[in-house]
Amino acid sequence: MQFEWIQIPYALLTLFIIINFGLLMNAFVAKIGARVGRRVGIPIYQNYIDLIKNYGLRSSITHGVMFYLAPVFRLTGGVGLIMFVPTIYGSVMFSNFSFAGDLILALYFIFFGTLGMALGAGESGHPHAAIGVSRGLSQVTMAELPLALAVFSIALQYNTLSVTEIVAAQQGGVLNWTLFTNPLAVAAAMLSFLGSVMRPPFDVVLAPQEIPIGPPTEYHSSYLALMQTNRVIYPVAKMVIFMNLFFGGADNWPVFFLKIFLIYMFAVFIGVVFPRFRVEQSIRWFLIWAVPIGILAVLVV
Amino acid sequence: MVQIAMATGFILILMGLYGALTNQNILRIIVSFSIANTGVNIVLVSIGYMHGRTAPILNEAVPLAQATARIIDPVPQALVLTAIVIGLGITTLMLAFAYKLYERKGTLDISKFSELKW
Amino acid sequence: MVNVIFIIVIGLGAAFLLGLLREKWRNTAYALTLGSLLAMAWIAARWLLFFAVDGGATFEIFTAGTAPPFAINLRMGITESVLLLLVILSGLLSAIYMSKSLYRLGGRAMSVLLVFIMALCGIILTRDIFNLFVFFELAVIATAGLLLISENKQALSAGFKYLIISQLVSVFLLIGIIFTYHVSGTLNIDGIAGLSLDMMKGIGSLAFFFMLMAILTEAKPFPANGWALDIYESAHPAFSALFSAAMAGSAAVYAVDKLLLIGGQQWLPVVTAIGLLSFVAANLLALSQTHDRRTLGYSSVGQVGLILAIIGQRDILGDSYLFIAGGILISHAVAKAGLYWISGLINQRHLTDWAVLRGHPLLILAFVSFIAMLSGLPPFPSFYAKWELVMILASENRLWILAFVLIGSLLEASYLFRWFGYIIKRERVQEEESESPLLSLASHKLLVIFSALAISWGLAYLWGELSAHDNLFYALPLLFALSFLLLEWLPAWVKNTLAIAGMVYYFVMSYSLYDPLQIIFAAIFLLGGAVILLASYHVHGRRMGFYPSAMLMFAGLTLLVVAEDSFQFFAAWEFLTIGSYFMILRGKHSEPHALSYIIFSLGGAFLILAGFALAAQGVTLFTLESLAHVAAPIAPWVFLLLAIGFMTKTAAIGLHIWLPGAHAEAETDVSPMVSGILLKAGLFGIMMLLMNMGKQQLYGIELTFIMLWIGALSAFLGNLMAVFQEDAKRLLAYSSIGQMGYALFGLALMNQLGWLMALMFVINHYIYKSMLFLSVGGVAKRTGTREMYKMGGLIAMMPFSFIAVLIGIIAVSGVPPLSGFGGRWVFYNAILSSEYRLPMMLIFISGPIAFLYLFRLIHTIFLGQLKDEHRQIKEAPFWIILPQMIYVAALMVFAVVPGLVLRKVDAYLSPFFAETAAKSGLNWEGLTITSNYGYWSPIPIMVIIAIIFGLLFVWLLFVNRKAQKVKQFNIVYSAERPFRPETTHFAWNFFAPYRKAMGFLIQPFVTRFWETLTDFLHTVADLFRRFYTGNGQTYAIQLLAFVVIVYLFRVEF
Repeated sequence: MQFEWIQIPYALLTLFIIINFGLLMNAFVAKIGARVGRRVGIPIYQNYIDLIKNYGLRSSITHGVMFYLAPVFRLTGGVGLIMFVPTIYGSVMFSNFSFAGDLILALYFIFFGTLGMALGAGESGHPHAAIGVSRGLSQVTMAELPLALAVFSIALQYNTLSVTEIVAAQQGGVLNWTLFTNPLAVAAAMLSFLGSVMRPPFDVVLAPQEIPIGPPTEYHSSYLALMQTNRVIYPVAKMVIFMNLFFGGADNWPVFFLKIFLIYMFAVFIGVVFPRFRVEQSIRWFLIWAVPIGILAVLVV
Repeated sequence: MVQIAMATGFILILMGLYGALTNQNILRIIVSFSIANTGVNIVLVSIGYMHGRTAPILNEAVPLAQATARIIDPVPQALVLTAIVIGLGITTLMLAFAYKLYERKGTLDISKFSELKW
Repeated sequence: MVNVIFIIVIGLGAAFLLGLLREKWRNTAYALTLGSLLAMAWIAARWLLFFAVDGGATFEIFTAGTAPPFAINLRMGITESVLLLLVILSGLLSAIYMSKSLYRLGGRAMSVLLVFIMALCGIILTRDIFNLFVFFELAVIATAGLLLISENKQALSAGFKYLIISQLVSVFLLIGIIFTYHVSGTLNIDGIAGLSLDMMKGIGSLAFFFMLMAILTEAKPFPANGWALDIYESAHPAFSALFSAAMAGSAAVYAVDKLLLIGGQQWLPVVTAIGLLSFVAANLLALSQTHDRRTLGYSSVGQVGLILAIIGQRDILGDSYLFIAGGILISHAVAKAGLYWISGLINQRHLTDWAVLRGHPLLILAFVSFIAMLSGLPPFPSFYAKWELVMILASENRLWILAFVLIGSLLEASYLFRWFGYIIKRERVQEEESESPLLSLASHKLLVIFSALAISWGLAYLWGELSAHDNLFYALPLLFALSFLLLEWLPAWVKNTLAIAGMVYYFVMSYSLYDPLQIIFAAIFLLGGAVILLASYHVHGRRMGFYPSAMLMFAGLTLLVVAEDSFQFFAAWEFLTIGSYFMILRGKHSEPHALSYIIFSLGGAFLILAGFALAAQGVTLFTLESLAHVAAPIAPWVFLLLAIGFMTKTAAIGLHIWLPGAHAEAETDVSPMVSGILLKAGLFGIMMLLMNMGKQQLYGIELTFIMLWIGALSAFLGNLMAVFQEDAKRLLAYSSIGQMGYALFGLALMNQLGWLMALMFVINHYIYKSMLFLSVGGVAKRTGTREMYKMGGLIAMMPFSFIAVLIGIIAVSGVPPLSGFGGRWVFYNAILSSEYRLPMMLIFISGPIAFLYLFRLIHTIFLGQLKDEHRQIKEAPFWIILPQMIYVAALMVFAVVPGLVLRKVDAYLSPFFAETAAKSGLNWEGLTITSNYGYWSPIPIMVIIAIIFGLLFVWLLFVNRKAQKVKQFNIVYSAERPFRPETTHFAWNFFAPYRKAMGFLIQPFVTRFWETLTDFLHTVADLFRRFYTGNGQTYAIQLLAFVVIVYLFRVEF
């Protein structure tokens, strides 16, 4: 695959779709959460309002260069992630810039935003921000391990690192999905997924009651707007990878929306049920429950 | 005769060594070594001779060609003299040391001179 | 040619004459002494020239004009002439050295000295056993006399102890001699040796045993040598020098050598065993010594033991016997005499008191040369000799002996280098605080020491010429390094410029000779070294000692790359080890760390030596390629030895404990050199090994598989330990352990991509670790601390350092678009084509762990709250910043076009993995790099990310154009305002929860293991040295017991 100029508007279109989908899905999930708690919840368009408001606000405050750059890093991470992964299988239009790199690029690019965010939070000089980063990084080391193992396992299984080829290999019926051909890998990856969506029981990083909201404590107005945008895009981007790797990908948008939503609901369900873990508890949890499954997945492939 | 001399020599050596190793007094040690030396010298004399060989005089009885095999080398026995002289030298030296050591510490107990150790 | 007998005649005659001279004629007496010694030396030298240059034949001197057995004969051959010259010259130098004492005591003391030297010459020359006895007794008497020169009152008791022992010796010797005569009918050594061996059965054998034990005792074997140690400790240092170098180290061992002609082969093992026991035990006991001269005494006993062991091995040494024994013997003589002479300059006796030498560079050079000679380091004769010895021992399958020789050498090097550390690092007692001067430099003493120094280097050259291998002095890089010794008077910036120019020039000059793999390493070593040296411009003054050491290390590295045979490789390895040791030692608090570095390194080097020896099986010129042809039963062992040796350098887990301290405590510009550059030497070695030997199996276990695990464990534990460091440089040092683990892992995968990944790590690690060490070093320089929690908020003060660290951590962590990602990408592709799966898990987890410490590094130093004391701080010096900026640029370039460097290497590696060639390797066509599994397009990645990033950034700039920086404490803080940055900067124990969860994995088991081992050795040493009670009688009993025990064990052989 080679670069053509037409890919730029195509990619922007993908981005647009995903932002809207993300905004609605987040609101929908919040609504579900509220209903479970017998509350009314936010209107479905609430996220639009928040976002537009924050984009409209102007700040005259900064804590320094990295503070300034962090939202940029953050959003670049989210957008870039979408750009590097094909969204719709078989569609030239929605395969974005995935010619630039394979699965490994996507997995490592996840850290780009995280790193930038952590740096900006650090420069704000707020101890809560630093505490949040410390927690987040600690947790992610163990949470990412099962995913890495699962990816290794399916790369061995399909003998490729190309996302497109992995999706291609899963076509032709539900039973060809990795979910059924390599259930151990999927199990490990899904457990790992819990650790990366910032929902209970693994949301000690943000922990609103303890350290206001952790890393982004000092952010406001348009800085926050960029971050909010990312918070909309990023989980979807990550779930796109999951969908592609484990659930047969999607060859049209409705299937895409459905699969992403269901994957997300998995984390939501668990989050609604369980209380919050401390960092060392979550590390042990991943080490004891998720990692062995991942190792098994690698060994039996 | 040779055996008696040799036995005496060895007995003297052993006595000397025993004395040197058991006496704490430096002078006694020196005396013991003198005894041992005497023993050594007796052994030297007693054994420096080889049976069946003749005196080292090169004449018709001992042709030059067979000399090495037939005569007895006088040197070893003569060397006893050297050994005695050297023994004397060392004994003197030890006595001088003993004197100096006594001057320094006022004792002749060898176990008192063990500052240098380990 | 002057008759050899004149050596004896002059010595004896002058001694008599001295006795006749008037007491007052001191000048005449002294002139006579020196004159006669000079004359004796001249005769010996003439003969040596005659043998060495003209190829003269061995010459017999018949006293009384009759052939033995009717008269005593002397023999002059090349060995004798060398030893004579050695003995007489050391006598001459010692006579000059103790001129004051000799003047004080007058002509009689001088005559005793002459008798002593003459007696030693006699021992060397004579071929008659009774004559041997006479000369030995003369030497004993003279020794007892010369001991009294000492100002140490204890010398008296030492002398008496010696006399007791010599009485025993003479008893043994005489009994032995007379019984030998009784069975053989002659006193001539060659005569007895010529007789059939049957003669030496029964009583003859016993007689020989007595003689041997007597002569051996004069060589002071362990444990019957307490008296000797007391002498070494208390005698005048110039006499100790003679006693060690000339008497024990030359005359006595040569007497043993002669005597063994009589005993024949069956006694060789006895001598070997005694020698080895002395070598190992004496060096072990020396570990717990604190008295300098006694330490030297132990070392002397050890070295003589080694020579005895070599004598005991002469049945297999063949033509090399003289080369080996001579190399060790002469090295020991020169070095030990030199060290004793130095000790005479120093007025206090604790090892640490030698710190007064600091500030006298020539004396330090002398000390270093001497301990290098004793430890068998290149380019000194003992190095060549040990190499030959080990080669032959291995080829003859005498592995136990080999092992003991190496263990003893390591022990010896340990305390010698510890001592050197004291000199360089310990506090000097101030002159005012003590009543007497601490260092008395007299010109005649210095003259003696420096002539020993000159002789040592001359011998180094000579042995290089004699050796079957290349003379190391012909290696251009080494000469370049040594020439800096002569340039020490220049200011640092001139030397720095010379060094950089030399390194760059050498690289350009030899560029075409390298293969692609070598180019990468040579570029890192030479060009990379030059870039780091830019940072050295920030140091002012002369910077004594830095450039010779640095250049020695670089010379070693340079030679390593082009080494073709095992000898060149090993010599280069030793050079880089020594050079880097000196550099590491320069750090303020690096004494213990430098010591552990050198011990681990030398231990590793000895393993490498043993590995090569085992592989060579006696072949003199063993090319590295022939490692491939080593046969089955020994091949895996060779592999094992070499691999462990190389892994000490890469600090693989288990052998890593030297690294953190050594790298962290080193100077600002040294840390990047020893981390960014030096570690690659180990990887180069492993590459060389794997490339030639491939996979090896030991007891059915794949050795590369174990290496894979070691690499993975190093990566995991190294990173994990880095997370919990408070000290920035230690953090980086631990991270190096992790990074080297990755590289080792890549190599052990044994496929092309794994190797490519390792090479990417080699390049990347060089760039970012050098950069990070420089930035952190610059910060530490400005803040005066390396504790990260004491810093914070420095981004505004030191923006360039911040940029370097930022780029560095992005690269280390492997986040795209920087070059670290390339390494990760290749890694995933590499593991997919490997059959091993389990160890990967550890690598997977170590990646994210790296984030932890990297973030901590940048956060706690540059972000967070600025401390009050740092408000006025400036950016790091320009010269420290400059190389960092070069590295930033290099990282960017390497990130975008990795193919520039790697393409050729990839092609070059293909043939080595021919069996899997079909599915390995990368395709470098176009912008995209493709493997069998995936693809990666560095330039588009960079462009896409840059565009997104740029757009967002510009937009943000636009909307927030009015934003201004607020004050430090203007943060949302529970509606309060924090008062102090100290309480607000969240930095100390940053990952406390992580420690709770994972801390159990980093219990310092390895450190504890090595500590226990050293403690154990020291305890044993301290316990067993108490065996030397100091009582002369005990010593005598020990000697008797020793004789009896040897007799009992002799039956075994």
